[in-house]
Amino acid sequence: MIKEFIEASTALNNKYVAAWKKDGKKVVGYTCSYVPDEIFHAAGILPFRVRGFGATDTTIGDTYFGPFICSLPKCMLQLAGEGKFNFLDGAIITPGCDSMRRLDECWRKAGKDIEGAIPSFFFHYGVPHKYEDYTIKWFTEETRRLIAAVEEHFNVKITDANLKKAISVYNESRRLLDRFEALRTLDEPPFSGEEALAVILAGTTMPREEYNTLLEEFIAQAEKSPGIKNRVRLMLVGSANDDIGLVRVMEGEKALVVADNLCFGSRFYTDQVGENGDPVFELSKRYLGHNDCPRMYGDYQRRLNILEQKVKRAKIDGVVLQNIRFCDLHGAENGIFERDLEAKDIPCMRLEREYGPLVETGRMKMRVDAFIERIQQRREVA
Amino acid sequence: MFAAGCDVGSLTSKAVIMKDGKIIESVIIKSKARPWESADEVMNIVLNRAGLTMKDIKSCVGTGYGRDKISFVHEAVSEIACHGKGARWLVPTVRTVIDIGGQDCKALRLDDKGNMVKFITNDKCASGTGRFLEVMAKVMHLNLDELGEMSAKSKQPVTFASACTVWAQADVIQHLNDRVPIEDIAAGVNNAMASRMSTLANNIGLERDVCMTGGVAKNSGVVNALEKQLGIRIKRIRREDPQIAGAIGAALFAAEKANGGAK
Repeated sequence: MIKEFIEASTALNNKYVAAWKKDGKKVVGYTCSYVPDEIFHAAGILPFRVRGFGATDTTIGDTYFGPFICSLPKCMLQLAGEGKFNFLDGAIITPGCDSMRRLDECWRKAGKDIEGAIPSFFFHYGVPHKYEDYTIKWFTEETRRLIAAVEEHFNVKITDANLKKAISVYNESRRLLDRFEALRTLDEPPFSGEEALAVILAGTTMPREEYNTLLEEFIAQAEKSPGIKNRVRLMLVGSANDDIGLVRVMEGEKALVVADNLCFGSRFYTDQVGENGDPVFELSKRYLGHNDCPRMYGDYQRRLNILEQKVKRAKIDGVVLQNIRFCDLHGAENGIFERDLEAKDIPCMRLEREYGPLVETGRMKMRVDAFIERIQQRREVA
Repeated sequence: MFAAGCDVGSLTSKAVIMKDGKIIESVIIKSKARPWESADEVMNIVLNRAGLTMKDIKSCVGTGYGRDKISFVHEAVSEIACHGKGARWLVPTVRTVIDIGGQDCKALRLDDKGNMVKFITNDKCASGTGRFLEVMAKVMHLNLDELGEMSAKSKQPVTFASACTVWAQADVIQHLNDRVPIEDIAAGVNNAMASRMSTLANNIGLERDVCMTGGVAKNSGVVNALEKQLGIRIKRIRREDPQIAGAIGAALFAAEKANGGAK
């Protein structure tokens, strides 16, 4: 069963995407967790979270981006330039951060230079940096603009009834993922953090109904499986990570990542979308308000509280605060998280890494090992 | 009861044999391409010198980049923990350890019992590592030892604008072409090295006593410059070669393991 999730999370054009396309249906990619999947589901389109996973160099990405830019959008553009996203019929770019916003311009330019690098539908979806009444209103209007553009380009009608149906399917998914989260945080979790990330990531690449079915089976099986014992319990926080290999390196033989606060991780399924009322408004409210990304202004204390709650609930021994090089948002916030969590006697380790092929594993492993040893020393003293 | 520590680093490999808390023998060799080859060689040499065989070693801990690739160790421990352990054995009052190895540098803080409280390592490039000094010494046709001693003779150290090893190397060549006294270039190199390291050390917050481990701790120019930049005295390690601190720490962990837990 886990093989299905690992395959779906480590291959871009996986078998589910291929089968979907074979039926003549459309796939639209999006770059950020602030884009409501439900809109595409309601249009009969497969929403697919665009990733940089699998890029082995950034020669194309470097051509369009400057040197002091996060390597995640560079890897995304690299794959687009290499034709790895040719299965996409559309792409949505958001200003998740400045690097990601620049992907809009860079991808458009690359599309002019490299034949087939850009899908025919290409949309910039604005996302405010504050969660207030007036920004929700603005974001609702922006979401309506996105819906209208999808309807026009793909010649479909996105009705309120279909949106409500999509919300219901995705909420079911979120409920299942809550059950999955409860298993993940058990004293003896039945699966590793690497496997957990594969399960979550697969949800960003698969048709939702099939995902829910598979997830339900996985949970039923996991509930009967023996747990993993005697590991140092880590929480992974910070920049986007869609590479299960990174978690594998961190876990090694001694640790288990039992919680996270990543946009490719648990942030993806936190909180339900309201099923009553205007579906566009409800979607806008949930996606803008419950995503817990440092891109949102004036919301640090709430994000810190979320981490503290997770530490308590999952009995976390240590928090790994990682950021991709040049990721200002997470790089800055990780420093403050470290200060505030350490003050509450929660061990933290900051880690700066490059996005892309796992080339720094030796040095990363040395630091994670030392962090685990620090935690073990604390236990011995206690 | 003999315990051993084997530290396979990127540039040098070190092995230490201890008995009853005392060092019986220690060896430093240049690392080979494969970590297990370095480990085998350094261990064979140290055993030969001590007149022992591997069967006499009750417990052995491996550390360094190649720690997971050594066949004969009973356990692998990170070099961060080993340097902390070794430094505390060398300087019992130490609370902050600055280690500059061949290809990385790290700073760690210990509590009053020697437990790790905080650590940081370089994560950008080779700047601020032993390799930086090696490259610069080679360009100046100096031995590494000479590079350190020359700082004392400098009257007007040069300043290096770039943190990049390659660009700093180009700067050294430029200064040599401009007939700048070699002492001033050497002092500039040592200051640049200390500057990178002080940024890292300040990041974790310094606590007295501070000591330096690793091969670069033998470079008086860097140690003096670092002392000046940090504004804190760095305790010199005289009991043993500071380069074997990691291997000592590994041997101490091995001894604890053989004795059935932390002592």
